[in-house]
Amino acid sequence: MNLLESIGAGARDMSTHKGRAVITIIGIVLGTASVVAVLALMRGGEQQTKDFFDEMGGLREIRITNEHSHSITQTAAERASERLTYRDAQAIRRDCPSVLTVDPEITRYFDVSYGDRTFSMKLLGTNRDYPFADNMPVAEGRFITDKDCENFANVVMMGPTYKEDLFGDEDAIGKTITVRGVPFEVVGIMQKKEFYFEGSGGRERNVLEWFNRSHYIPITTMIRRFTVNDRLDGLEISALSVEAVPALMEEANRVLLRRHGVLDFNVEAKSEQIQQRNEQEAFFNIVFWAVAFVSLFVGGVVIANIMLASITERIREIGVRKAIGASGRDLFIQFLVEAVVVTAAGGALGLLLGLGMVTVTDKVLNMPTAVTAGILIIAFSCSVAVGVIFGLFPALRAARLDPVEALRYE
Amino acid sequence: MLIRTENLTKSYDLGAVEVRALRGVTLGIEEGEYVAIMGPSGSGKSTLMHIIGCLDTPSTGRYVLNGAEVSELKGRALARVRNKEIGFVFQNFNLLPRVDLVANVSLPLVYHGGIARGARREQAVKALEAVGLTHRLKHRPNELSGGERQRASIARALVNEPSILLADEPTGNLDQKTGREIMAILDELSKEGKTVIVVTHDSNVAAHARRIVEIEDGVIAREGRA
Ligand SMILES: Nc1ncnc2c1ncn2[C@@H]1O[C@H](COP(=O)(O)OP(=O)(O)OP(=O)(O)O)[C@@H](O)[C@H]1O
Ligand SMILES: [Mg+2]
Repeated sequence: MNLLESIGAGARDMSTHKGRAVITIIGIVLGTASVVAVLALMRGGEQQTKDFFDEMGGLREIRITNEHSHSITQTAAERASERLTYRDAQAIRRDCPSVLTVDPEITRYFDVSYGDRTFSMKLLGTNRDYPFADNMPVAEGRFITDKDCENFANVVMMGPTYKEDLFGDEDAIGKTITVRGVPFEVVGIMQKKEFYFEGSGGRERNVLEWFNRSHYIPITTMIRRFTVNDRLDGLEISALSVEAVPALMEEANRVLLRRHGVLDFNVEAKSEQIQQRNEQEAFFNIVFWAVAFVSLFVGGVVIANIMLASITERIREIGVRKAIGASGRDLFIQFLVEAVVVTAAGGALGLLLGLGMVTVTDKVLNMPTAVTAGILIIAFSCSVAVGVIFGLFPALRAARLDPVEALRYE
Repeated sequence: MLIRTENLTKSYDLGAVEVRALRGVTLGIEEGEYVAIMGPSGSGKSTLMHIIGCLDTPSTGRYVLNGAEVSELKGRALARVRNKEIGFVFQNFNLLPRVDLVANVSLPLVYHGGIARGARREQAVKALEAVGLTHRLKHRPNELSGGERQRASIARALVNEPSILLADEPTGNLDQKTGREIMAILDELSKEGKTVIVVTHDSNVAAHARRIVEIEDGVIAREGRA
């Protein structure tokens, strides 16, 4: 008997033992469904993380922050260092060949007035690179230019939420607002930035709203008018390409170390943050994997047991089959195929159940999911693999039975 | 000579005791012979039958079937010989309970390999017709009488057109009248030239054969021809 015929015989035989097949199937259905759910959740999470970082600004970004010494006493070099300054930003722009944008930031809160309205608002001193670095298109007017920075110009670009707070529907471009009594001309309005994470209970939160609640002024103006020195709150730079990120990190490190004389700063690529986030999610997914693994394993053990029981029940049948010319190999394949037919059927049902579970997590629990063909293929392969692995021992037993003893068996 | 055994022995090692089921059987059977093997219970008839039918291998001795040294074959090769050369008929029929007669009788063709499903069914139906079961093709074994079941198992034994038909107590579970019907079929097959070997306690059954081999205590005690 060739392999194809053996498979046919195994499948036909299984269809004559429907009751047994149904019991066997349940564990496999649950296991396969869990695999689908796990993978869909993982992919959904990864996708969301990636979208979030795309929206935040691409993978070419490097964030430079002040690193605070952990020891109580400072070294002389640490005391001498000015920390991150606007001059550092200029040095990086000048001396790092791989740099594309340099975005120094100083943030302050001041009273801002227009007409009779006054609010305490956030002002971000920055330069022309800010909207590119942080992927923020201009809705109206223009952003801060190099010329603004050179001239210490009193111009302001408004975040859309602040614009509404101060002006309502009124046109704002060309109007003058005062910041701590200093007049600033409105030259542009930022496009609204949104990224909604579906929080618990179905509430959506725009996690990028802080971009919308900000005024943007030239950093030079900020330094001259409102701060005592040019220390930065943050410095974000981006590389010419994603591939150039490591080179730029090295260049920035070198430039800053030369200027500070001590390693009191930290250079980190945003892609590393993505990595970290993915690792966190992978940890949570271990729980789901455990569920899937246990279900599949229990399903497999049940299959092995039922197969062994059915072989005992069918010892005479095995003897008869051998007497009329079945080889051990024929019977091995027959029983293995029976196991695989059951688990594959369970796997197919499990895919359906899994898709249902995914829909529920997506719609009811508001967790992001993504189902791909690859996920379905992997889950189905798992169910088939369980059939092969756990069918192996019973099938081997059937194949090894001595025909004479099998025929004598009462 | 179709079957030739030389000094066949078969012992079972049960630890403390050694059971010697066969103690040197030398037997030759020509093609087309109709042989009955008789003997008291436990004398080794079934054991000899299993070795002749290639279900079992002897502990020592030679067995040549159709000119081939069978006692040296193992596993798959033995399975092929069983499939092609031997047809078994059992005392308790040994049909598969969950499938119909056509499927039961097709089974040797399935293990033969290389025969399409349609052709297998066709041959199975023909074999069932030959034993008078045309009206029972779709029935399962438990829907049939003992005689019908035994006829179905004869059909299964014949479907591969083997050179030898081996029947171990084929009438053992049947009443006398049905037993005679089954023996009539075997007589007919013998007349058509098939080699038939019947194991039996019953001298009425043995009387159908043209040669009787009596076994006692694992050796051939007497031989006679009708
Ligand atoms: N697997 C085995 N282990 C131990 N002893 C065995 C085994 N198979 C057969 N025997 C012994 O071998 C001897 C011959 O058995 P066999 O079945 O050939 O007898 P038989 O002539 O067919 O008897 P019956 O007429 O009752 O069917 C018996 O004593 C039996 O107990
Ligand atoms: Mg016997």
